[in-house]
Amino acid sequence: MIVPKRNPDVVWRLEKGLHAMAWDKARKEEEYEDLGVLTLMVKGGIHQLNLVGAEIWTRINGIGTVKKISVEVGELFGWEAEETEEAVLEFLKGIAEQGWVTLNEGGAREPAPPWKGSRKA
Amino acid sequence: MIPYLSSPVTVNWGITARCNFVCSHCFSRLDPSEELSHEEALRVVDILAEQSVMFLNYGTGEPLLRRDLFPLTSFAVGKGLKVTMNSNGSLLDAAAARRIREAGFHSVGISIDSATPEVHDAFRRMPGSFDKAVRAARLLREEGVPLSVSSVICKVNRRDFPALVALAKELGAHTIDLHNFKCSGMGGLNKEALDLTPDEWRVFYEAAVPMRDAEKGIAIAFDDPILSLLGSEEKGKLVAGSVCGKLSLYIKPNGEITPCGFIPVTIGHILRDDFGEVWHGSKVLSLLRNKAAAGKCSGCAKFSSCLGGCTARAFAVYGAYDAPDPHCWSDDTKP
Repeated sequence: MIVPKRNPDVVWRLEKGLHAMAWDKARKEEEYEDLGVLTLMVKGGIHQLNLVGAEIWTRINGIGTVKKISVEVGELFGWEAEETEEAVLEFLKGIAEQGWVTLNEGGAREPAPPWKGSRKA
Repeated sequence: MIPYLSSPVTVNWGITARCNFVCSHCFSRLDPSEELSHEEALRVVDILAEQSVMFLNYGTGEPLLRRDLFPLTSFAVGKGLKVTMNSNGSLLDAAAARRIREAGFHSVGISIDSATPEVHDAFRRMPGSFDKAVRAARLLREEGVPLSVSSVICKVNRRDFPALVALAKELGAHTIDLHNFKCSGMGGLNKEALDLTPDEWRVFYEAAVPMRDAEKGIAIAFDDPILSLLGSEEKGKLVAGSVCGKLSLYIKPNGEITPCGFIPVTIGHILRDDFGEVWHGSKVLSLLRNKAAAGKCSGCAKFSSCLGGCTARAFAVYGAYDAPDPHCWSDDTKP
C-alpha cells in the first residue's frame, strides 16, 4: 500500500474558472489536457497541473492510498481501474522526483489482535 | 498553457508610501499617495483571499512604519494568504522580529545592496544602514523567520555580487534576489548614474547565471525576462516575458491597481472596482499579455521567449509597452 503525502512547502490553488472550463471540455470530449487548472509554487518556481493531475493532487491527503485515489479518479473519467492505477502511480512518481510529494509504504494497518496484553507462546 | 490565470498568484501591495530612507533608485517616492485605513486594508485582504491570491507581498515604503502591520498580517495569514515583505531593516529590532514570527510572515526580505558597508550606505543614502540591515537579518533568523536578501543591481555593485551572495548565505537567507535596475520614479531620474548599459548587463548575467546554476547553498533569483537572450530562463517559469499582469499585480498605498509597481498606469481600484473584472477585462493588461514585436524586436529570433523583455523598463524609457527593453543587448534580428 502506497500512501502519497504532499510536501507542506508546496503552495497551491485550484484555478476555479479554468477547472470548470476543463471539465466542460472533457464532458464534450474536447481537448482539455493542455489546460492548466491547478497552480503550484515550489521553491520560487511556478508550475501547473492539468485536469487529471489536479484531480489526483486534490485527493492527496496523507491518508488515502494510491489505490483509493485511482478508484476515485478512474470513476470520474470513466477509465479502467488497472490502467488508472498505473497512470496515477506514474504521475505520483514523477512529482515525487520533483519533491512535491513523498510516497510512503504503509497506509492500511495490520488488524488489531483480538486480545489485550501479552500472549503466551 | 493557459492564456492567464484566474487571478494573480502574487499581489504586491504598498501598504504605506512612507519611508525613513530616501534611496536614489526608489520607484515610489515621486508618487506619494494617501494610505488606506485599517478597516479598508482588512477589506483588501478579504478581496484578495476571496480571489485565491496565493502570495501577498508588502513593498513600496517601509512596511514597519505602518502601525497595524502585525494585526493586518495576522488577519491575512488567517485568510490563507502567504505574506511576505521587503524591509530596509532599520526599524527591525528584537521585539519586531518576534512580532513578525508571531504574525506568521511566510518570509521577509531585507535590502542589502553590497557586502561593503560604505557602498550600501551610500546607495541607500543612510549612514549605518548596512549594520542595521545585517542586524535585522540575524534577528529574523534567530526567531526562525525565513529570510531573503534583496539587492538592486546597478553601477555601484555590479561586480560585487559574489560577495553579496556569500554574505546572504552567511546570514542564513534561503534566497538572494538580484533585482535588475528599473528606471521608474527616482530610478528614471538617476538612470545615467546608476543603470548599466546593455553590454554591461550582458557581462553581469554571463557571470551571474553560471554562479546561480552552480550554487547549492542559496537560491539566486533574477526575475528578468531578458535572461532569455542567454537561453537561460529561470526554472519553473510559467509565462514568457514579464510576469506583470500575467502572474502579478500591484496595489498602490491608496488602493489604485497598476500592472506592476514600475508601471504607473492605473487600471482600477481595489475597493471601488470588481477585482475579477479588472483582472480579466483590463485593456492595459490585455496589451501586456499580448505584446507585439516592435522596433528591433521585429524579426528577432528571441522574441517568442522574451516577449520584448521587461515591459516596465520599455514603458519608462519609450512610453510604449511593446517597445524593446532598453537593457536588451541583442542584435539578433535574423528570423
